[in-house]
Amino acid sequence: MAATTSQGKTFTLFMMGLTVAAAGLAFSGSGSGKAAVVLGVIIIAVSFAGFMKIKPLEGMTASGAQPAVMKIGGLCVVLAGWLIVLFGLHLTASVTGRMITSLIGLAISLIGALLILPAAANKNAIWKV
Amino acid sequence: MRIVRITSCICAIAVVLMAGAGVVARADAAPSASAAELKDAAAKAPTTATLAAGDPGGAITGTINDVPVSDAKAGLTLADVANQVGQNKIGINFTWTLVCGFLVMFMQAGFAMVEAGLCRVKNANHTYMMNFFVYGCGLFAYWIIGFAIQMGGAAGNGNLGGLQPLASEHTLALFGKTWGLFGQSGMFLAGHSYDVGVLVIFLFQMVFMDTALTIVTGACAERWKFLTFAVSSVLMGAFTYPLFANWAWGGGWLAQMGTNLGLGKGYCDFAGSGVVHAVGGLTALAVAMIVGPRIGKFNRDGSSNAIIGHDISAVLIGCFILAFGWFGFNPGSTLGASGAGCLRIGSVAVNTMLAGCTGTFGALLYMWSLKGKPDSSMSVNGMLAGLVAITAPSGFVNPICSAIIGLVAGVLVCISVSFIENTLKVDDPVGAISVHGTCGLWGVISVGLFADGTSNYGGSWNGVTGSVTGLFYGDASQLVAQLVGVATLVGFVFTFSFVLNWMLDIVVGQRVSAESEVAGLDLPEMGQLGYPEFVFTPEPDYLLAAEKVALA
Repeated sequence: MAATTSQGKTFTLFMMGLTVAAAGLAFSGSGSGKAAVVLGVIIIAVSFAGFMKIKPLEGMTASGAQPAVMKIGGLCVVLAGWLIVLFGLHLTASVTGRMITSLIGLAISLIGALLILPAAANKNAIWKV
Repeated sequence: MRIVRITSCICAIAVVLMAGAGVVARADAAPSASAAELKDAAAKAPTTATLAAGDPGGAITGTINDVPVSDAKAGLTLADVANQVGQNKIGINFTWTLVCGFLVMFMQAGFAMVEAGLCRVKNANHTYMMNFFVYGCGLFAYWIIGFAIQMGGAAGNGNLGGLQPLASEHTLALFGKTWGLFGQSGMFLAGHSYDVGVLVIFLFQMVFMDTALTIVTGACAERWKFLTFAVSSVLMGAFTYPLFANWAWGGGWLAQMGTNLGLGKGYCDFAGSGVVHAVGGLTALAVAMIVGPRIGKFNRDGSSNAIIGHDISAVLIGCFILAFGWFGFNPGSTLGASGAGCLRIGSVAVNTMLAGCTGTFGALLYMWSLKGKPDSSMSVNGMLAGLVAITAPSGFVNPICSAIIGLVAGVLVCISVSFIENTLKVDDPVGAISVHGTCGLWGVISVGLFADGTSNYGGSWNGVTGSVTGLFYGDASQLVAQLVGVATLVGFVFTFSFVLNWMLDIVVGQRVSAESEVAGLDLPEMGQLGYPEFVFTPEPDYLLAAEKVALA
């Protein structure tokens, strides 16, 4: 089972919810604007519930489970590298110092993005079966 | 003595009276002279009767009589002429920006042809449709909220009339400085945003945003569920892209590093190696990791198999469409052809051409020398790599440096494709991650190295007086600013995209079923074959074997 009317309807609901929520944000100064934001978020939530309902009906995919803990760990390493770069800008005012902290932080982020996360993605890859 | 005193008084009074008369006379003389000159010029202009005889040479069409007069009683004044000059400047800039935006929009066709050509025939319709529908998904999301997040606080651009309605940026006070985070004006282009200048910048920025979105479709082709692609693209156009674009182009904190921290001119990205291409490439990496490789791409021992595309001619022609559209991408980023350094558009265009050329050479010679053949798909990726890499520095570098940047990108893309496929084991059917991600980051860094300090876009950039100058021309702090931009792309944009698409994988499911993938996505996902009259040849044995395992 692939593209279906259920997919079409839930996607339409999602787009409607996003539009209503955005319209509410655009006019958030008024009471009706705030109500529109709430309504939009509810519609989006309903559409997501619809997506989750039809997902199991769409058949088995050719991909293995990717360990969540490893992925979270990898993302934390990527984020940590970025934060090191940002705080390094305030630790020192010298160009050389900022260059060094930026390179260190970037390297840490790349370890997360190019080492840990791909390893997590391929841990139970179907081609290993 | 008395006579002398009286005479002196009379002379003094006379001098005062004459001076006063002179002041009055001077005050009267200026308007009289200019008004008289204008009236004289109007009288000498071709009459209606003269014009009715025809003007094949264009010598008498377009005269002083075509300047609008604000007060018919007063006639043509200097103020009228000055106002027309201002209108002309803005009109030229509007026209330039819009036409360049139209060229960038046409790049969607180029992306569609390159991506579909590199995919198998059973997925052609699906791949083309992703590139078709991403235009609508991105445009709609950008209209309802994305544009406001990106440009809501971008007022101040003199080329397009000031963009004063876009004057609401949400900021954060940190370490004694104010940092821009996201804009708040311009949703639905309603209210004050319904402005001629705002609509021009909306169109131009929208087509850039869509380029970023379409990059992801290439990396995830042949197994990405159409529904999830649509939802992911809407969210990327609404949030991911506009957030980083605000930080770089919309008055946000990355651009403010120059004024706030003294780091060069802040993060500089002339036309979007980082904002467009790296954002797209890194998002593509994130989604490709989550969605997984195609069936049969990797063997049990980890070695990879080449899955050949069905139409190399589409790939080559699509690449030229992209190269053509890039003349709108880079030169158009001056946002005008009149005033504030805009005459540099020729320089930007030539830099773009040169980098594309040397990028082609870099990739083609690399493949020919090391692999034995001038591989056509890698040559295409080489040209695109050069064009991507020059996008950020195009407004700040000279032609020689452009050629170097393109050449490095052409070689880099070949190395990166191999690294991503063979080391990371991430499947990317079209090389989008390498072309746009890797070479996009190289483009960002190259600003910090090669910017030569000769450009002059109104005497400042990102609010810092002077020209953008890189390490090789004397300013190491610019390189630091660029590295912070690279770190933000990897550290924030990649993470944000990964988390967003991970959530979508849990809720919606990123990948199609194994049956759909084996059959080809055209029929199960789109309900129609891309080429219904083709007779399909059987796939290679290694693919058939892998598909059997997957279906079991």
